[in-house]
Amino acid sequence: MADSSLVGEVRARLSWAGLKRAPIRYYLAAVFLVGLALGPTLGGMGTLLMLQWTTAFFFVMFVLSWDFVAGYTGQVSFGHTLFFTAGGYTTAALNLYLGVDPLLGILAGTVVAAVSGLFFALPALRLGGHYLALFTLLPPLILVRIFVIFSDYTGGSGGLSNPEPLLEAGDFAANAQANYYLAFALLVGIFALLWTITRSDTGRILTAIRESTDAVQSSGFNPAKYKVYSMVLSAVIGGLAGAVFVHTPVGSASPSQLLDLSLMLEILLASIIGGFGTITGALVGGLFIFWGLDWLEGVEYVLPVIQTPVGEIATLLFFGVLLLLVYFLEEGILPWSYRQGNRVLSLIRGGQRPVATDGGAPDGAGDAEGVASHEDSMDQGTAGSDAGRDSQ
Amino acid sequence: MPGTDEPSGMITQVLVNALLLSALYALVAIGFTMIFGIVDILNLAHGAAIILGGFSAFYAVQLGLGIWVGGLAAILVPALFSLLLYWILVKPVQHKNTMVIITTLIVLTMIEEAFRIVEGTGSHVLPSLVAGGTTIGGVSIQYNRAVLFVASWLAIGGLFIFINRTWLGQAIQGVSMSTRGSVLVGVDHEKVVLATFGIAGGLAGWAGLFMGISQGVTWDMGLEPLLIAFAIVVIGGMGSIKGSVVGAHIIGVIETVTTTYVDARLTGVSALVIMMIIIVAMPQGLYGQPGEVG
Repeated sequence: MADSSLVGEVRARLSWAGLKRAPIRYYLAAVFLVGLALGPTLGGMGTLLMLQWTTAFFFVMFVLSWDFVAGYTGQVSFGHTLFFTAGGYTTAALNLYLGVDPLLGILAGTVVAAVSGLFFALPALRLGGHYLALFTLLPPLILVRIFVIFSDYTGGSGGLSNPEPLLEAGDFAANAQANYYLAFALLVGIFALLWTITRSDTGRILTAIRESTDAVQSSGFNPAKYKVYSMVLSAVIGGLAGAVFVHTPVGSASPSQLLDLSLMLEILLASIIGGFGTITGALVGGLFIFWGLDWLEGVEYVLPVIQTPVGEIATLLFFGVLLLLVYFLEEGILPWSYRQGNRVLSLIRGGQRPVATDGGAPDGAGDAEGVASHEDSMDQGTAGSDAGRDSQ
Repeated sequence: MPGTDEPSGMITQVLVNALLLSALYALVAIGFTMIFGIVDILNLAHGAAIILGGFSAFYAVQLGLGIWVGGLAAILVPALFSLLLYWILVKPVQHKNTMVIITTLIVLTMIEEAFRIVEGTGSHVLPSLVAGGTTIGGVSIQYNRAVLFVASWLAIGGLFIFINRTWLGQAIQGVSMSTRGSVLVGVDHEKVVLATFGIAGGLAGWAGLFMGISQGVTWDMGLEPLLIAFAIVVIGGMGSIKGSVVGAHIIGVIETVTTTYVDARLTGVSALVIMMIIIVAMPQGLYGQPGEVG
């Protein structure tokens, strides 16, 4: 019964009228995704660019995994790099020392990451605020030191290099292309999963936990269960991304790629600048940070007065810019452009679409759901049955 | 007889080292915990004040001003930095936990990065405050380290007198207990917060000088003591100055013992592990208020 209504819903959405009603940003996103999917085959994307995009995809996956738990349930973790490391190092070590097949190793790495997720999730039920921040900040820092102490086994700051690749396809260019599609598929899968969960009723419960645990409890839901669920799912996604990453040509199980504090900082900034707690914002912010830094590193313009090329002090400048962005565009790029876009639309359409001044979705505008407010009517048909199962 | 003599000499030596290390840790932790007590934030840029302290002294010496002027610069520059940090960056976002942590983490990263670019990754040597040394009861003590130790304790003792005996100090204590209550009885909140940031920055800078003289000045000298300060503050109870002095000694002794008797590479690890256990088992620490755990 639920299925037939679901089919009906999907049909209605995919009908000509339904497609016409879909907001413009869905089309923009679709064009962007199709562009990325066709880039290497039809678009003549160079091998180097493909490898860079592959790295960018993995970075975005890391950002997504953080945004899902921090942005929605408000369990702000400063140690998500632990999950990537758990995934990446487990599979690399299994492969290098025991000769385990990468596919099996990735599975094992994901399981270890899930366990480390529990390690965060259980104290997070009791701790809040500063204590949770400190508690999550520590494990990666301890791990870095342990890796240095046992550098005979872990490779120290160089990490475990060259585990067997997951995909091998002839020459270098073909190999890069295969890995590009692997990363792209994984990213699309993770994005779709997180997007669906956060736009479902489960997502509403997670958002409600961020706002008030008591309110969630009094509505008959168990906040602890959802907190643990979201943290562990986030760890699984982060661990999976980290594990696959080390088996591609662009990644290796090393502190600088999986564990360092600066990586964590970039992830935090990507999610916040893109739009904290929106999933879509994490995607945009992740790409923005990755390509922004890449672009700045390539700038050869020599700054006057200090006589230094921009590229050499790129990290410094970039963090300065990000700091300003965080201050002056606190809501994030995506929610901001969504708001601006709506304003333009309302001008074009002669004020048919009212714009709420607080940035949320205007009342009664069914097809203008807010990115941040999760008023996504599109998912209600499917989410109803989901939440019914989830709540008990 | 010499067989029994040597271990006891060794133990005394370890104890002396532990006391020196603890004084250094206390300097860093006190500032961190004071800021926490007053404005309820985790100031990760506290590590940047340590770096600035070390490099201010280094530049003063480079300019030929001598290490004593350098020592003064090592206190004043970080104090000013800390004030500006609060005034410009922290104040607008001080009620948003995550934003404060991210902002101060960016500031720490930027300062590290700036010194790494300008000064490279090498270690820069600071001259000793005083030369020479002596041996008392089989324990060798350099005058330089003794001066640093005494100066650290003068700073800590002075702070205690300041906090307990002066009006501004009592105002700091008051705000730390209840901001609203203190403001109601006429405390200028802004002034108290600025004073706290200034003092914290100055103490951290002094610690930076201390570290610079004993181990050299490097671009990444701020993070390690900052992490140790976390551990100390958690053990002592967040916001408690007395707790952080006690915590500094606990951590200082544990650090010295593990690095001397177990493995020198364990620096920092034992403190961090202890801290994680304490956060889970006893979040309020030794002298903290349980109410602070949310």
